[in-house]
Amino acid sequence: MNDDAQQKKGLTRRNFLKSAGGVAAVAGMAAGGLAAGVREGSAAAGSMPKKWDGTYDVVIIGSGFAGLAAAMEAKNAGASAVVIEKMAVHGGNSIINGGDFCAPGTKLQKEAGVQDSPDLMYNDMMKAGLYLNHPELARTLADQAKDALEWCENYVGAKFTRLNFHGGHSVKRANQTVNASGSELVNKMLAKTRALGVAVQTRTKMERMIADKDGRIVGIEVKTGYRFPDEKSGKTAYIKARKAVILTSGGFSNDIPLRRIEDPRLTEKFESTNQPGATGEALLAACMAGAMDVQMDWIQLGPWTSPDEKGFGNVPLFCERLVGYGPMIDPVKGKRFFKETGNRKERADAIILLGHPVIIMGDSYAVPKQVFPKALEKGLESGAVKKFDSLEALAKNYAMPVEAFTQEIARWNSFVEKKKDTDFDCMIFPDAKPTVTPPFYAARLWPKVHHTMGGLVIDKNAQVIGFDLKPLKGLYAAGEVTGGVHGAVRLGGVAMADCVVFGRIAGRNAAKETARG
Amino acid sequence: MTGKHRIMRLPAGWLIVFGLVLAALLIYVSTPMAAPKQVKSAKPGDCAACHGQEKVFSPSHVDTKAMTYKDCLGCHEKAGPQKLEGKLPGSHIHQLGGITCVKCHENAKKEEEVTMDKCVVCHNADKLAEKTAKVKPENPHTSPHYGTTLDCNLCHHQHKKSENFCAQCHKYDFVVP
Repeated sequence: MNDDAQQKKGLTRRNFLKSAGGVAAVAGMAAGGLAAGVREGSAAAGSMPKKWDGTYDVVIIGSGFAGLAAAMEAKNAGASAVVIEKMAVHGGNSIINGGDFCAPGTKLQKEAGVQDSPDLMYNDMMKAGLYLNHPELARTLADQAKDALEWCENYVGAKFTRLNFHGGHSVKRANQTVNASGSELVNKMLAKTRALGVAVQTRTKMERMIADKDGRIVGIEVKTGYRFPDEKSGKTAYIKARKAVILTSGGFSNDIPLRRIEDPRLTEKFESTNQPGATGEALLAACMAGAMDVQMDWIQLGPWTSPDEKGFGNVPLFCERLVGYGPMIDPVKGKRFFKETGNRKERADAIILLGHPVIIMGDSYAVPKQVFPKALEKGLESGAVKKFDSLEALAKNYAMPVEAFTQEIARWNSFVEKKKDTDFDCMIFPDAKPTVTPPFYAARLWPKVHHTMGGLVIDKNAQVIGFDLKPLKGLYAAGEVTGGVHGAVRLGGVAMADCVVFGRIAGRNAAKETARG
Repeated sequence: MTGKHRIMRLPAGWLIVFGLVLAALLIYVSTPMAAPKQVKSAKPGDCAACHGQEKVFSPSHVDTKAMTYKDCLGCHEKAGPQKLEGKLPGSHIHQLGGITCVKCHENAKKEEEVTMDKCVVCHNADKLAEKTAKVKPENPHTSPHYGTTLDCNLCHHQHKKSENFCAQCHKYDFVVP
């Protein structure tokens, strides 16, 4: 943060304040209209500022995986760059993400004897995405994920040490960071970005994109010193992008008005796993400048979150390591109700259909073997994960019919013995054992809004497409702010790959543009 | 007779009295809302220098005018139930301990935000994290997300009520001094 403050100060003093007087009149005029917020329709890409407060080849909006990957690649391709971040801290959702990076044919897969290929990953993505994925984008991701992971390891210096499974994939292909958090990668990306001489300026919010008379994006209007969520805070400034703007502002899971427009079921009754700044105004500002949006109503709920803790919490790390090792139970009937290894959408829909929280559980063979120790410890401490000496005690705690439940566990165990689930076709892993060893661990599950699959239309070069179906010149985008990569369902662990693959592509291509002015 | 005529016939003196009463009322109503003056030369124990007539203490509290932080500790033990941390704004504890305005805001003429590098001169981030290692449910001074680099000012506001930054995503009920 010291660096952040210094960088911010440096940037502010050197580039912004110097000319602040000159733009005061224009800023005043613009800010008058903008104070009410981007939504009020004042963000049309019109009026050009009289003076720019800062000029860079490439201007990147957002400091998560995608933004920092883009910044490093742009800089390494010879472009000057700046990263702006509206929140007080860098990293967006990336810094609270679970650290699973899906890629086919990795070192960890080879060590574990897992056979995988880009084709298999592509097919898994398409199947889960209900074939609504833009094939060219899904293909690009599957083909380049391994290289992106290796870049994160070898160039950025992040450590990936464990191979995990996520529902909807046909094999284990999630390469997990050493601390089971995206912070391992995003903090190292931040350090590297700064070492390359790219400033990352927090509390700076993009208000609108600025286009020239031909519609090309040539810069952005920002508010510096912005204090989320106070729309009255901050001072207006203008940043020129001589080559391109790259939008990597993330999704809108925490934007209740926007997500309710796209999926009216997702009222404030549904919590989100996301950081509070995961709102959609930057995406909408791009649309107002001519960028096209796609599949905005495919909003993903995580089926593995707990109503007994806030935000993402520890239960997802407990639940997702247990599927394929332990059963998921509807406590009202004491019986299983759905394929535990099904994809996120299928499972979340099944739980919402039941209308009440369900139980995920495992025994003392599966839990210590599968669950990250810290996640288990913290889950137990907060009470979101509970420990029971017997199956009866577990059933009693959740007011389940004991006999039906113990019979169901016996049935599940018979499937595990045979490695075949004839009820719901759950994938049962080769090293899974019957759930018999006390103590038993369990947690309640209720979905939370997790990922917005839809967003800006891009091509395989990360170039944004406009409403005229042609490239919107001067604008690239990568990561969750884009749409089409995942179709209807993003599979677990594919977001990191998505952000790094397309962030890198965006950075390289933005740097290749001809500098203007 | 119309109202207009009646007002016109009121002597000017009455209007002045009425105006004064109204002004006094406005001042009275708005007093609790008014921010205290930030008098840089004020002695830290001299509450009235900034707060004026505002009642900042219970009537039974001893006179603090000549006190330093050390004197406060006589009753308000650091870890005790009467501790001042969390009760008094951070800037006041700083003041009482001799860390005056200008020691953080070097340029006293211009109001400028204090950056974290100022804080860590006295409050080493790593040492703080060691000190609070046993706080439950989590150590507030380090996290898997930001390590020990999170800006002090995100929680420990000096001139307004501190906040629990972690609480935006976590169920941690920290009392933030």
